[in-house]
Amino acid sequence: MTTVLLVDDEKLILRSLEKTLLRAGFDVLTAADCKNGSETFAQNVGDVNIAVLDLNMPGFDGIPKTGAGLDLLDELKKQKADLPVVILTAYDEVSRAKDAVSRGASAFFVKGREQGLVELIQKILG
Amino acid sequence: MADPRKLPQVLYIADSDESRALVGRLLSDKYVVLEAANPLDGIQLAEDTHPNLILLDNNLPQITGNEAATRLRKVVPNTAIVIISGDLSDGARERALAAGAVGFIPKPIDDDFVPQVDAYLNGRVEKLEQPELHLQAYQQELAEKFEGTIRQLTTTLERNKYLLQQNQRMVDMLERRHRLLETAARVGQLVTSILDLDDLLKYTVDIICSEFNFYYSGIFLRSDDGKWAVLRAGYGAAGHKMMETNHRLPLDDRSMIGNAILKQQAQIASDAAGEVSRFKNPYLPDTRSEMALPLVAKSEALGALTVQSDKLNAFSEEDITSLQVMADHIAIALSNAQLLDKLANANAELLRTKTFEAIATATGEAIHWVGNKAAPIPGSIKRVREDLNYLLALIGQLDESAWENASLRAAVETVKEEAEMSGLDLKAILDEMSAMKPNRLSALVSVESLIEDLDIAENSAKVILDIKEGLIGPARQRNDAAVSLREMITNTVENMGLPGGVVEMEWSDDMPHAHVDARQVEQVFNNLIKNAWEAMADTPEPKICVHGRCDDDPNFVLVTVKDNGPGIPKEIQEKIWVSFFTTKGGSGGTGLGLSSVMQIVNQHGGKIDLESEAGKGAMFSVRLPVEKTNQGG
Repeated sequence: MTTVLLVDDEKLILRSLEKTLLRAGFDVLTAADCKNGSETFAQNVGDVNIAVLDLNMPGFDGIPKTGAGLDLLDELKKQKADLPVVILTAYDEVSRAKDAVSRGASAFFVKGREQGLVELIQKILG
Repeated sequence: MADPRKLPQVLYIADSDESRALVGRLLSDKYVVLEAANPLDGIQLAEDTHPNLILLDNNLPQITGNEAATRLRKVVPNTAIVIISGDLSDGARERALAAGAVGFIPKPIDDDFVPQVDAYLNGRVEKLEQPELHLQAYQQELAEKFEGTIRQLTTTLERNKYLLQQNQRMVDMLERRHRLLETAARVGQLVTSILDLDDLLKYTVDIICSEFNFYYSGIFLRSDDGKWAVLRAGYGAAGHKMMETNHRLPLDDRSMIGNAILKQQAQIASDAAGEVSRFKNPYLPDTRSEMALPLVAKSEALGALTVQSDKLNAFSEEDITSLQVMADHIAIALSNAQLLDKLANANAELLRTKTFEAIATATGEAIHWVGNKAAPIPGSIKRVREDLNYLLALIGQLDESAWENASLRAAVETVKEEAEMSGLDLKAILDEMSAMKPNRLSALVSVESLIEDLDIAENSAKVILDIKEGLIGPARQRNDAAVSLREMITNTVENMGLPGGVVEMEWSDDMPHAHVDARQVEQVFNNLIKNAWEAMADTPEPKICVHGRCDDDPNFVLVTVKDNGPGIPKEIQEKIWVSFFTTKGGSGGTGLGLSSVMQIVNQHGGKIDLESEAGKGAMFSVRLPVEKTNQGG
């Protein structure tokens, strides 16, 4: 069974993606900010196969921050260096999301067609 | 000594001090001696005192002794007059007697002077032989004298007349010069007071013609392409006609205006008819002399002033000087107007750039927000569709034929038919479902999930509608009433649930109620305080000070909201008012806060200002209209 860690502060997006991933047959762990995401990951390091992180959300101090997802990316990589990570972005932040790839993310995904995320995860995990 | 009042009085008229001293000394023993230094004084004195005897020195200023004697005879007919004279020529004595004297004492005065005076006083009258002859001689003398005097008077008169003319001319010139300079000064003042250039130019040509009495005046300005001198103001009916026909002259050496502008030199034609380089204007047939003065500012000729007269040689030095002063004033005004134009253009350019920037920001942000909020909708709908298919597949399994209720039977039949018609292969779906493990199938065919997905879609749509509301909300109908901002803001702050001690409030006792829509204005302060709080996330000891008082303008209530956060950098201070501009990253507000705050305040006729410096906190000042009927509180 593949387990996905999904972190996004937009409640509706989080739930919708979660359902899409569940239907696709994944197990899904969710969190709404960096701190929560990092903790959830730490508790389930053995199970999580891939992390999907929003680019902009509250940082480790709980304050909204542009690019907070990249901080969490760094933190998760510290805990598990070979963890595949997908960064979620809005369509107009693609250039920043590309930076994410250079910082160790496997890919970025522009929010919209949720089935696309399922396909992306399947592709990354082979 | 005898009583002086009883002594006979002798008047001696002589201009020589020595003579008067001598005679005075000789006669003062026996007579009261009166003295006069010139004949006119003497005649006056004689009239006043009626002396017993008058001694007249013949050599007198102004008129001769003889003439004086003739006059005295008329003034004091009963007084004897004796001429004392150094003129010992033939007939001198006789002429004296003919002039009206009773005697003639030759100079120098010697020992027998006093006895002679005594004798005349006692009535001695010398007799004149052949009086007609001597009278004639005397008249001859008089005539010659008169002639000389008249000649002298005539010369003097002419000289006076000439001087008078000179003076009048000088006075006229000074007056004109004064008026011209005054006029020039007035144009100078107008330069600063009349902002509309066309008004100034028209006023100037009018003033030139009315004050200087010229036939015509006009002002030409160089066209933008430098090819024409275009008439911008003209005097009187001719000026009006020319303005109507867009009168202009090519900028070349064939007109005085063209020459004045090209050469930056005054062009003066004292006799216009003889001027070769002159445009003969059909509207101005009476021009006899003409000048064109360049309007030069910063060594650039911006145009020229034409002044025309119906007289030859109409322009004096003064005219040219003061008209040039005026031209200089106009040139400065033109130069200023051009500068102002450039400034206005630069300003408009800046505004355009800013507006584009703001629109780009607002549009980008709007798309970002709507896009983000709409993101879950397609996913939810896709799942609902799937769920619906599963449910339809299950409905397809119903055997309704045995149902008693015909309506229900018909409904199920219709669902089955419509599903088939819309291309759904219910059988294939059912096969797919049958192949699933029970727990997976129950996860898919879940009413709870179905409702949740509908909720997700609904809520996403609601957020998008909220954005719309934020944009157009302030435009809604207002219900203005007396509102105690103190009460309202205190409540708002309480409901916001900020940590204790963060918000400090200070209210002046004399702060009046505001006349506002309570709901909208509550939004204003809610937004400002929320913004301040969110901006101070990294501030060690966050403080928000709300201070309410009466504004300096008694028509407004002033509430300031001040924080000690990071402040708002100068470069974004204008952008913060723009819709969808946000510093809060992806998940903060809608970016509509301050733009709707400003809209609400503006719509109330109030004002909102920001004072901030990076690193030094920010202060918003909100001015709202005062409630006029119910003061206090």
